[in-house]
Amino acid sequence: MLQGLLSMLKRLRSSPDKELRILLLGLDNAGKTTLMKKLASEDVSHITPTQGFNIKSVQADGMKLNVWDIGGQRKIRPYWRNYFEFTDILIYVVDSADRKRVDETGFELNELLNDDKLLGVPVLVYANKQDLALAAKASEIAQELNLHLIRDRPWQIQACSGIRGEGIKEGLEWISQNVKKK
Amino acid sequence: MGPKPEDILSGFQVNWMNLRDADTGVVLWQGTEDLSLPDKEHEAKVPKKILKCRAVSREINFSSVEPMEKLRLQQKVLFKGRCLEEWYFEFGFVIPNSTNTWQSLIEAAPESQMMPANVLNGNIVIETNFYDDDLLISSSKVRLYYV
Repeated sequence: MLQGLLSMLKRLRSSPDKELRILLLGLDNAGKTTLMKKLASEDVSHITPTQGFNIKSVQADGMKLNVWDIGGQRKIRPYWRNYFEFTDILIYVVDSADRKRVDETGFELNELLNDDKLLGVPVLVYANKQDLALAAKASEIAQELNLHLIRDRPWQIQACSGIRGEGIKEGLEWISQNVKKK
Repeated sequence: MGPKPEDILSGFQVNWMNLRDADTGVVLWQGTEDLSLPDKEHEAKVPKKILKCRAVSREINFSSVEPMEKLRLQQKVLFKGRCLEEWYFEFGFVIPNSTNTWQSLIEAAPESQMMPANVLNGNIVIETNFYDDDLLISSSKVRLYYV
């Protein structure tokens, strides 16, 4: 899927010689690393909490795509800011079945949206874990996160199931259409 | 003031490396010995079919006790000492007590330009160097054998 995204991006761009940086954030256990692995067709049965970052780099015809997944545990979150610079797209992953931490995930997203270093960066919210019975719908998550109040950047919410690999591609298509031309 | 160079060095470790068929995500080789031991050249026995893969990914997992401000990596693929391919990657900040991975995916050369396994066998070395700014932190060499 990553290679697919890279070729979509290449088609849309006039100057191909470019590096693109996607930042993947969200609370711990939101499913960021599972999504990352799905992007590269990898097995997702043995995933442990990320204690730092995972990066995937794809290169073709002089264009580079780097996706950064940073651990979401509370003790790691203060370090997120170190990875904001030069971000082209922010992906924010939400565990749609984690009803207890709706406020917490909303708070962290707001911090990101209010940060100068991420000013104007388009944001894609994945309402993940739609395969779980208790999962809230993407529209409910959007409401709870007050996404409709975002005025200063393009945004999108996409229902997905990282485990099943459903909905991920649709999100990537939105990304390819919303990367700012530089 | 940041941590002392000797603390950065002693707290840094390369935990493993692997090679995957990038289309299927299947691991074709994984090395788990401490690859950051600098004086040793490591050996990898990789199935020949990797040469038929349309795209291959290389992944490296490393840990650091100390925070770093400007971690970067230089990875070269050498054939008989000659550089076939080179990657630079800037990680920037490294979280203290973190474990991190970097995976790079490359599409293979067209089959017509691909050297056969018996020519490549034992002649390909992947060299990976980590630097914090200008300080060399770790250097590892893995020689590939196609079996």
